[in-house]
Formats: sequence, C-alpha cells, structure tokens
Amino acid sequence: MRLNSKSLAAIILVILFGGIAFTTAMNWWQTESDKVPAKFSAGEAAGQFNPGDIRGSYTFADIEKNFEVPAVELASAFTIETEDPGSVALKDLETVYASAADAGVEVGTASVRLFVALYTGLPYEIVEETYLPQPAVDLLVARGTLTDEQLSYLQTHSVDLAALKESTNQAPAVTVPASEPVAGSDSERMIKGKTTFQEVLDWGVPKETIETILGMEMPNPLTKVKDFCAEKGLDFETIKPALQAEADKITP
Amino acid sequence: MKTFFWKKFTRRRIWIRSLVQIFFFALILLISVNHQLAEDGGGIPFLSSASLHSLCPFGGVVTIYQYAAVGTFVQKIHESAFILMIIGFLLAVLFGPVFCGWVCPFGTFQEWLGKLGKKIFRRRYNRFVPARLDKVLRYARYLVLAWVIYMTAVTGKLIFADYDPYFALFNFWSSELAVGGVVLLAATMLGSLFVERPWCKYACPYGAVLGVSNLFRVFQIRRKEATCKLDGACDITCPMNIPVSTLTVVRDHQCISCLECTSEARCPAAATVDFVAGRS
Repeated sequence: MRLNSKSLAAIILVILFGGIAFTTAMNWWQTESDKVPAKFSAGEAAGQFNPGDIRGSYTFADIEKNFEVPAVELASAFTIETEDPGSVALKDLETVYASAADAGVEVGTASVRLFVALYTGLPYEIVEETYLPQPAVDLLVARGTLTDEQLSYLQTHSVDLAALKESTNQAPAVTVPASEPVAGSDSERMIKGKTTFQEVLDWGVPKETIETILGMEMPNPLTKVKDFCAEKGLDFETIKPALQAEADKITP
Repeated sequence: MKTFFWKKFTRRRIWIRSLVQIFFFALILLISVNHQLAEDGGGIPFLSSASLHSLCPFGGVVTIYQYAAVGTFVQKIHESAFILMIIGFLLAVLFGPVFCGWVCPFGTFQEWLGKLGKKIFRRRYNRFVPARLDKVLRYARYLVLAWVIYMTAVTGKLIFADYDPYFALFNFWSSELAVGGVVLLAATMLGSLFVERPWCKYACPYGAVLGVSNLFRVFQIRRKEATCKLDGACDITCPMNIPVSTLTVVRDHQCISCLECTSEARCPAAATVDFVAGRS
C-alpha cells in the first residue's frame, strides 16, 4: 500500500485532532488542574470543601465557586482594584504584597485560606503565622461571627496597607504579637500542598527524621507529602509544621 | 549531473507539508500568546489558552515514571500532554516520526532558518560537520533523553523547561523564560544557518524517542533498486543527511518521514522511492 503526501497530511490531522476531540468528549482532555479542593472526610464539616486545600493556582472565581465567598468581597478584603475580581489568581497576591514580604510578613495563599475559613466558619488549623490585610479583618469583624479567640488572633495578625502604601520605604505597619517571632522561613523551603518528599530530602532533612515524624516508612520520594497524609489518614496540618521545623533547622 | 538534478528537483516540493507546518506553527504561537493574555485577564475567544507544557507530548514522556510510581503527573504537566504523547506514539508506529517532520513547530522554525543558510552556503549547506563526528553526535540526543528522564524522575520537576529552546521560542514575552532555554535557542538558530535541523539531529530528546519507531514502523520509505538511477538526488535532499540511495528500506533512527526524498518530490524516477506499507 502506497501513501502520498496529501493522504499522509490528512491522516495526521485526523488522528491528532480526532484524538483530541475523542478525549475531550470522554472528559479526559485536561490542560490545567481541576481546581477543586479536597473535602473534609470526618467531623461536623464532613463533605464540605476544606479551605486548607486551597492552592495558589486558584482564582477568586474558583474560591467563589467552591466556598461561596463572593469574588468581589475577596478583592475588597485583599485590596485588589480590578474590574474582573474573579480572574485574580492567589499566587499573584505575593507579588501585590511584595513589600510586606520584604518585612517578613507574607500575605498570600495561606491568608486566603484563613480568610475563607473565618468567613465560612469551616475548620482550619493555623500552623504558621498568617496575616490578613486590615480590610479583610474589618470585613470579618463586621460579619460578627468570629469567636473571641479568633478576634484576638486577628488583632495581632493584621497588615495596615494604607500605611504601607503611603510609606513604602518604611517598615510596613504590621501588628505582630510581642511574644511570638514572625515566621521567616524561606518560601523556597516552605512545605506546601505540592511539596514532595524529594524536596524535603533535598533541603537536607534525613529520611530517618521524616519517617520518625510520619511514624511509618516514607513512600516514593516523588509523592506529595499532603497526598500521602490524606492516603494514610495522617493529619497534614500536624505533619507539616513538624517537617517545616526540621527544614528550618538546616541552613541552606 | 548534480546541477541538472538540483534544478529539476527544486521545482517539485511537497507543498502540503509546508502548509501543515505553517498551520501548527501559527496555532502554537497563537495559543502561547493567548495563554499570556489569559494570565493577564484577557484572551482571544474560541482559542485555547493552555500552557505550552500541557500541549507538548514530550511532557507526557517525562512524566511516565512518576505516573507509574505514584499515579501523579510531574508539576505543570496535565492529562493533555499524556494524550498527545500517546497520539504521537500511534503516529510514529504507523508512519515514523511524522510529528518531527510535519507537526513540530520548532523543527519548522529550524527549516525556515535553514532556507537562509541554503541561500548563503548553497551546496556546502548541511555538509559542514565531518561525517565521522556527525555519526557520533547523532547519538547525543539519547544522552539528553536519559538525563532529562533521570532528573525529572529524581526531582519530580519539569527540569527540561529551563533548557528547552522550543519553550523559549514561544515564551519570549513570559516570566517563565529561562536563561538556559534562550542560550540553546540562540545556539540552535545560529547552527541552523550551517546545518539543517541541528537541534533535531543532535539534541532533541523527543526526536530520540520517536526516532526508535523507524526500526519497526508500518509505513516505510522504500527504494526500488531496479528503477533507481543512482543520481543521489534523494541523498542531497534529505534534511537529516541519510544516504537513501544506498538503502533499500530507510530504517535510520534519524528519518523524520518528511517524504522529500520520494518520487513524489525529489527523486526523478517514477515509483522508485515510495512511502509504502509491506513490500509493495
């Protein structure tokens, strides 16, 4: 059987685009993450989305879809001026708040997790120093659903952006608890949802230490710490600070 | 004699291949621009804004180990890359590395630069590298492939993105642009003025994977010795410098199934060099 160039061109296009069309129809064709957080498997919030699983790749629209927190309120809380608040990506917050980060106070994905948890009343364990912009704190306080403990925490973990914008050369007006040091971990060595065991090993944490913290044998190093915890029924919010503490002990 | 054939075969081109190449180059360029526009909150309607990583079949290849070991993809790789990898393998089993010769925008880009090199150096073009050195260098892309797969498996990260000239070419406006990619892109552009498809020949890890299909593909390039005039037209025209006139069946791991050597294109003898299945 002989094939000429025109037939070959047609076959290539049919196989390529036919394959894409078929896999799209089967819902297999995905060019990005599905942006749906994990759900609580137990407790009063069982079956609801876990704010602790919000990722940096999410947009405010994704938060609105999953947690019913309006994107407009998120934009207002995090002082983002835009005509399309739904398109704001969480990972961009670190850029917006770069000057705060320079002062050792990170406003980013963890801040949105905390905000969403307090806004919705869903469980969320704060495992690192997490700060919210003052407008976000004001919005939450105005809703009147915070406990005394939560109010107390926010009073010492807010960032006054107005003062920050007025004087970028000065240290940002950050309310920091006097007794607690500000977390200053290198963000490159910060354990996040996508951190793999390999990365923790690369930072210098010995395998034995990791296994002691896990209380069991470490899986394939390419496994994400968070995925492993979910699979083995371990509390990621407990494992994470323990591993982070070990990573912080090691000088890069 | 060669002058005669040079004049003769320059009149016949496989125009459909050029058309397909232009289509895919434009498509990837538009999608890549649209990806940036979408990141900035805009975008072209009805056009995919997928990242280049999600549309590269080699992304599927490098994630095989992690997928088999822990059931997840390497960072930035999604199902689409895996699907394109499978489609690429299917095409390669049937027709050889047609992805390289017909689809890959970076191969097309090198060919376009090569046209300039041909104008400058004419016959000397694509004949600069000494044969013995060239033969050894052709296997370098397997070393690149092994390094990329090993490093990706060990780190779980898309290591090659920092060195990929193809990614650099279509992300010049992006914050993801890596110095390593720019350097290799510049080297490839310069090299393309002297050698046809230098990246494909000496360094492309995906070409290395697909090149293996030349050993067992269904449709092959076959030369009929009975009607062959042994004029060397097929050898001169082959972008990958394969000595087609000395072979009955082209099984060289570098063939990209461009069909430029066939009787439909450069070979002046009818039905002598054909793209066929079986022994017909």
